Amino acid sequence: MRALAADLTGAGHIASARGLVKVYGKGETAVRALDGVDVDFARGELTAIMGPSGSGKSTLMHCMAGLDTPTSGTVLVGGEDVGRMNQRALTKLRRTRLGFVFQAFNLIPTLTAEENITLPLDIARASVDREWFDLVVDAVGLRDRLDHRPNELSGGQQQRVACARALVSRPAVVFADEPTGNLDSRSSGEVLGFLRRSVDDLAQSVVMVTHDPTAASYAHRVLFLADGRLVGELEAPTPETVLEALRAYSPAGRPAGQHAAQVRA
Amino acid sequence: MGRVALRGIRAHLVRFLLSVLAVALGVAFVAGTFSLRTMLSSTFNSIVETTMLGDAYARGALEDGAEGPSVAEGGDVGGARERIPLTLVEELEAVDGVATVVPDIAGQVVLVGADGTAVINTQAPSFGMAYDPDDPTMVLSDGRAPATAGEVALETVTMESAGLAIGDSTTVIVGGALVPVEVVGEISGSGPLAGATITTFDEQTALEVFAPDGKTATIAVYAEDGVDQAELVDAIESVAAADDAEVLTGDLMREEASASIEEALGFVETFLLVFAAISLFVGAFIIANTFTMSVRQRMRELALLRAVGASPTQVFASVLIQAAVVGVLGSLAGVAGGLGLVSLLRVVFEQMGMDLTGSIPLDGFTVVVSVLIGTVVSVVAAALPARRAALVPPVEAMRDDVADVEHSLRTRAVVGLLLLVLGGATVAFTALAPDSITWVADNAGVMLGVGAGAVVIGMLAIAPVIARTTLRIMAAPFVAGLKPIGTLARGNVTRNPRRTASTAGALMIGMALVGAASVLAASTQASTATIVEDEFTGDLIVQSATYAIPQEAIDTMADVDGVGSADAIAFASVRIAAEGEEPASDYVIGVETVAFDRALNVTVVDGDLASLDSGEAAVKRADAENRDWQVGDELTVSLDGASVTVPIGAIIDTRALGSPVILPMDVYERVVPATASTVDTVIIEAADGVAVADLQADLTETVKPYVILSVMDQEAFASTLADQVDQVLTILYALLGLSIVIAVLGIVNTLALSVIERTREIGLLRAVGLGRLQLAGTVTIESVLTAVFGTVTGVLVGVGLASALPAVYADEGLTALVIPWASLGWMLALAVVVGMLAAVWPAVRAARLPVLEAVSYE
Ligand SMILES: Nc1ncnc2c1ncn2[C@@H]1O[C@H](COP(=O)(O)OP(=O)(O)O)[C@@H](O)[C@H]1O
Ligand SMILES: [Mg+2]
Repeated sequence: MRALAADLTGAGHIASARGLVKVYGKGETAVRALDGVDVDFARGELTAIMGPSGSGKSTLMHCMAGLDTPTSGTVLVGGEDVGRMNQRALTKLRRTRLGFVFQAFNLIPTLTAEENITLPLDIARASVDREWFDLVVDAVGLRDRLDHRPNELSGGQQQRVACARALVSRPAVVFADEPTGNLDSRSSGEVLGFLRRSVDDLAQSVVMVTHDPTAASYAHRVLFLADGRLVGELEAPTPETVLEALRAYSPAGRPAGQHAAQVRA
Repeated sequence: MGRVALRGIRAHLVRFLLSVLAVALGVAFVAGTFSLRTMLSSTFNSIVETTMLGDAYARGALEDGAEGPSVAEGGDVGGARERIPLTLVEELEAVDGVATVVPDIAGQVVLVGADGTAVINTQAPSFGMAYDPDDPTMVLSDGRAPATAGEVALETVTMESAGLAIGDSTTVIVGGALVPVEVVGEISGSGPLAGATITTFDEQTALEVFAPDGKTATIAVYAEDGVDQAELVDAIESVAAADDAEVLTGDLMREEASASIEEALGFVETFLLVFAAISLFVGAFIIANTFTMSVRQRMRELALLRAVGASPTQVFASVLIQAAVVGVLGSLAGVAGGLGLVSLLRVVFEQMGMDLTGSIPLDGFTVVVSVLIGTVVSVVAAALPARRAALVPPVEAMRDDVADVEHSLRTRAVVGLLLLVLGGATVAFTALAPDSITWVADNAGVMLGVGAGAVVIGMLAIAPVIARTTLRIMAAPFVAGLKPIGTLARGNVTRNPRRTASTAGALMIGMALVGAASVLAASTQASTATIVEDEFTGDLIVQSATYAIPQEAIDTMADVDGVGSADAIAFASVRIAAEGEEPASDYVIGVETVAFDRALNVTVVDGDLASLDSGEAAVKRADAENRDWQVGDELTVSLDGASVTVPIGAIIDTRALGSPVILPMDVYERVVPATASTVDTVIIEAADGVAVADLQADLTETVKPYVILSVMDQEAFASTLADQVDQVLTILYALLGLSIVIAVLGIVNTLALSVIERTREIGLLRAVGLGRLQLAGTVTIESVLTAVFGTVTGVLVGVGLASALPAVYADEGLTALVIPWASLGWMLALAVVVGMLAAVWPAVRAARLPVLEAVSYE
């Protein structure tokens, strides 16, 4: 474990945030979902984000991915200032530089697995890099499922298709918000294994939110969030060290993982 | 449960808004029709009340075999009755208790206004009558009464619309002649006249032109003070009976007049209600769609209700309550809209000089019936979705994602195909059956109707089955040309073929009718063009805007240099009977027999046209077949006591001549007096060596004073006839327009609702980088595909069915089948435009969805 080590420029990182604040609502009812977050995500790493429910993990993902606009602070992705972009530029950024995987409902039901995977390229009217496509498809192990529609795929397969889609445009970074939140442990293993392989073998950068210490152990690095602040990080995690860290960072010494399991956000 | 239902509507008001609008439009049509009828009926009844003030009326007996009070035409009540002698007037005046006797001496006239054109007020009649100082329905309000043949007094409104004033000189076409007259007085009628043009003449002139035979149709009798109607009738009955006249009280006469007005308005009402019903039917599709989608969306909520103990009946009722609320709201808005529509119509009519004073009544009947219709339609339309809601198993509440159980379309496919085949076969059989199978010809109308109905319903049933494949094919260019959005749009329209098909079905109905109407119109136009070409062999054709050509004008034209011949075609309503037949009302045509050599070309089926020279009659083939007339049979043609009996000399095939019996002019004149005869067409042959164009110019100049006449060459004549068809078509299109507007609302509705339904999906698409324009494009393509699908199926059905008509109605003059490809092309273009318009609002809504909220939308 090392102290919060974000260098002040964020240079050399694939995505970074400085002084990131996000306030929902106004006055009495205002909620500071992010309360001054400085963070860097390293190129070619799988980073996990953990924290109790409501600690601002999703909000951080959304702000990083240009899906939400921060109240203040800056967000850089691949060297570009996301905060300065208008809607049109953000849309373009999302389809060319970013990949996104949600917890559920990631696929368009009317499109086949293959069409879902190539969707960002089709939207951008870019041609599909067949070699890369094959590499990704083989990595997720869905070659024989390409013609199937989402409702013909299991939950794990659907999430793997979603991961493939996130990677197909060779984005600067993939953000995944609890990608295994709805899956059993075997399917989770498949998805997480793939995410890790995409980093190790395909040289991609992935940031994922998770509640599960086992899932977090697939990452190179784990960041801990509480009440909208970054409270710690862990290199080369194992399930045990993650659990330990969670206990340490949770408010009343209660395991945050359990807390989160009770109140799913 | 009621509370749940109402909350549901309040919470999702926008979703039900278009359903309410659809009901409102359909109901507005119904309510508008009812109140239009009430308004017209009160207008015309007040005309009856203010222009028929007599205490008793004498009129002729019914002609043999004629039926009771007939439909009023131009204020002339009672059609097929004998005329009674005017000498009766003096006899009646002598009876005790009689104050005044006013005979009805009137006929069609044309008044030329200050601007040199005929005073023609839309559909209102223009007639002339005798000025009678004793007549309490006419009061001389200014100037003096007409005293000689060159003087007239005009009714106030007529004076105004003619732009004339007392002292002005103008012309009147009366008794077939152009008469210069001076306006000497102004008459105010005692009530509204709905724009009728009324010119009064001195009694002598009126008698000469309107009653040269010394007879009249009715005589109004006014009682002295203290004599009531029944006493008056008793007093004059015997006097009238001596002249074969029957007498009835003024009240009875007015009742009869009102009854025939109601009957005529009843036809108009029924005609309009048919279109209102189409609109409501189309509206029902929107409601059914809305509730299907709302039930689908609320599956989990409904299942929860079931899980906490609501019975299926309660769930069913809760959906129906929502439908009833939609129906009542829509109906009330519709009633208001209908009244607004009629008020608007009244203003429009007023602009055209037709004063409809009848109040626009908000009567209980209109409100109750309209609201009932609107509510029943929406409840019935929601019944199936409600049933589906009731059958939701409570366990659905626990399920995470609501399974979209697509019921098998097999029943639909079988039933639809069966109906299509049976209906199509019926229509084809009716069209292709040989003439020898007479029961087919006798029941052609019914068979076509039933067959067409089956085809339309079959098509609606099978539409979801064929939708997937058809839409795939239609979407191909978009998929190929607009990469992701074409594919997305195709997926959206094919994912729920039932929904797409019923959305398109609403449009299909309207487009089927429009397609059929356009084929019928094009075929009619082509048919009439061939009639003109084949049968009118003259060089020029003269017709009149009032459908009557003054005799004087015919004589004048015949005298013009360069005219080789001028053949008038005269017709009259008479009674015709072969030996052993009951006399039946029908038309007879009188024409100089030489016309068949130079002006008309008809096909002789049997006998010889030369027989007409010796005073025999020609009959049309279709009528001869229907009534089993043979060459040599004797026909008796009678009118007002006069009659002739002539043998049939020829059976002919003609479409130019519209009556069953054609008589040589001299025979015709023996039975039809000049006052009962109308010349509607004069065919002119240029003399040898005269250029037709020059002659046309000369004749046009000659008939100019008769402001109503036009001289046409064949081409112009054919296009005049085509214009008349176009006018009818325009009215049909306007009436069908509403159902198409409603169908478009249906597309808007379905799109808007499915945008809501797909909120998460849209969020996801936007999250992976789909731009707003691309999203709007997707919705637009969906919309266009739906509209084109509805239009193509509709046009196929409509054109297919209408194509059978010429084969069935060839005898009625519909000989050509023309498919107006250009019009159909325009319809397709219209469908694309309509699709794009329908997509605007849903597309904007979709594009405006905030990405993040959409992604996390429940
Ligand atoms: N759209 C929103 N409007 C208001 N508050 C929100 C909204 N989204 C998130 N929040 C609040 O912000 C805080 C952080 O939420 P979130 O980032 O979703 O947490 P996590 O994903 O870590 O569970 C929570 O208190 C949540 O209630
Ligand atoms: Mg979250």
